[in-house]
Amino acid sequence: MRILLAEDDPLLGDGLRAGLRQLGFLVDWVRDGDAAERELRARAYAAAVLDLGLPLKDGMNVLASVRRAGITLPVLVLTARDAIPDRIRGLDVGADDYVVKPIDLNELAARLRALVRRAHGQPQERLSVQDVVLDPAAHSVTQAGVPVMLSAREFDLLHALMLNAARVLSREQLEQHLYSWGQEVESNAIEVHVHHLRRKLGNALIQTVRGVGYTLAGDLPKP
Amino acid sequence: MNMPRSLQGRLLLLVLGLVAGVWLATATLTWFDVRHELDELLDSHLAQAAALLVVQQAAEVDDDHRGVDAPTLHRYAPKVAFQVFHEGRLVQRSSNAPAEPMLEFTGRAADGFKTIAIGGTAWRVFATHGRERDVQVFVGEQVESRDAILWAVLRSSLGPMLVALPLLALAAWWAVRQGVAPLRLVGRVLAQRSPQALQPIAVKGAPSEMAPMLDALNALFERIAELLESERRFTADAAHELRTPIAAIRAQAQVALGAEAAAERLHALRATLQGCDRATRLVEQLLTLSRLESDAEHALVAVDLAAVARQVVADAAPLALRKQQAIEVSATEACMVRGDATLLSVMIRNLVDNAIRYSPSGATVKLAVSSAQGVVKLTLDDSGPGMSPADMRRIGERFFRVVGSGQEGSGLGWSITRRIAAVHRAVVRVAKSTLLGGLSVEVEFPAERVA
Repeated sequence: MRILLAEDDPLLGDGLRAGLRQLGFLVDWVRDGDAAERELRARAYAAAVLDLGLPLKDGMNVLASVRRAGITLPVLVLTARDAIPDRIRGLDVGADDYVVKPIDLNELAARLRALVRRAHGQPQERLSVQDVVLDPAAHSVTQAGVPVMLSAREFDLLHALMLNAARVLSREQLEQHLYSWGQEVESNAIEVHVHHLRRKLGNALIQTVRGVGYTLAGDLPKP
Repeated sequence: MNMPRSLQGRLLLLVLGLVAGVWLATATLTWFDVRHELDELLDSHLAQAAALLVVQQAAEVDDDHRGVDAPTLHRYAPKVAFQVFHEGRLVQRSSNAPAEPMLEFTGRAADGFKTIAIGGTAWRVFATHGRERDVQVFVGEQVESRDAILWAVLRSSLGPMLVALPLLALAAWWAVRQGVAPLRLVGRVLAQRSPQALQPIAVKGAPSEMAPMLDALNALFERIAELLESERRFTADAAHELRTPIAAIRAQAQVALGAEAAAERLHALRATLQGCDRATRLVEQLLTLSRLESDAEHALVAVDLAAVARQVVADAAPLALRKQQAIEVSATEACMVRGDATLLSVMIRNLVDNAIRYSPSGATVKLAVSSAQGVVKLTLDDSGPGMSPADMRRIGERFFRVVGSGQEGSGLGWSITRRIAAVHRAVVRVAKSTLLGGLSVEVEFPAERVA
């Protein structure tokens, strides 16, 4: 899952990026408000962690302007401002969650997963299609109850497809989900990962929509 | 006499005291005036009577026709007496007059008035002498009778005042009570305020005399409100500033715990330590600031500012050299100020550290201490990026940091600098450096005799 981290404090930003990576996130880190807004407008992130006291442009203003631009991604505000009026204003401006520093990294990750899940209309913790079940928290996949070993990229690819089960995702969209900045994306990388997934989970799961991209086959179980 | 502590009591006492005083003075003046007038009038009557007797004797006195013991014709008559002597012999007298002459014979036409005692009673006597037939006349009047008239006059004029005085006291008490009613009202309004209330007091119908007091009170409330607000802001800011380093320490420690690669763990552990150092520095600065703000009194002694400046630059030089910056100090002659050497050193170190940290590598930092006519000036110039006028106005606000400087800092250094300057009654000015193009900070110490 690729998220944007906007935090101006070097030590905290570094720690959050490293910690969220350990927990299976792809993290792009920006240090000021202008960069945060630019990135949020340019790329489809699964979620964003936004500090409020950002240089150049305050986090609250960044949030307000991306919301005005119609960007609906889940935003978790992570701030040292704990006054009730600040919290209320943050949530009203468009934050999906408001967390006061310091925070446990595992809790931060769980909140991000929950935000992403809800943003895709998935109330349950685990995602399932046909006999395949994906557990974002445990970073595990089972097929008919049997664990399936996937690489990090394969897991992210399957996660993205399952979150958007009713839609077709283009290759570019999937690349954005799978790679953070500075990571080389080979031209056929997505095809290679899809190929590996089909080998491990069977050909019936992922369908190719020619000229558009990929989607998952079969009915989603009714929640 | 002790004045009563209540305003009402004071006013009442003053008003009644003054009324009584004026009344007594009036009575005294009346007494003297009436007595004087009375004396004049009655003396003139005595003189008139004496003259009448002399004239009458000159015409009528006859040795065979003696009218000694003239009859008493009025109830006041016993208080008046006369004697007529002819060639040294008593020829006529009133019934209450003694046989001996009331005064010695002097033979003068008019001896004037004398007050004498006859039989234990004070008499006012007028003596006159008719040269023709050698007639000596004495006319006397009891002094007591004059006093009786005087008292009667005083009684009738001042008596009503005595009756009026208690009534006056009552009226004054009521009037004073009405007069100080607004005071009681303000007192009630103040008593009813909640202890937290700091909004200005507005009392309808407060007298104009109370306006300065109410204004002063309201100004005080305003200052207290500002102080409280600044304290509240400080607490909120301090919490905010402490949370970020703690969050960083926590995140890095957690990363170290979860790291699988040794390099990653090492990096996270180093960052954890760095975070601890930063939090420590922040806490130290907060403590310095809070000590500065709570200690009203600092022992100020004679300090050579130039020596302090040289020491600070010597300490900071390694940091500047690491950034390939040129740092120089021009403070050769002693510049004495009244101050606290430790605080001054903290202040100069803050300024120098800022200059070094916010200036790029290769920059120049110049510190100068000079003295002219007792005014000691410390000037710090750098060739760094300087500051926008808006930022210059805001530095010194607690936790204010110039954004985008890429430097870590608590934003407390300037607050501490300004506070220390204030303790020394020094003025801090920030401007664009004309010398080096960056920022110029000038601290001017007041001219004063250094003991």
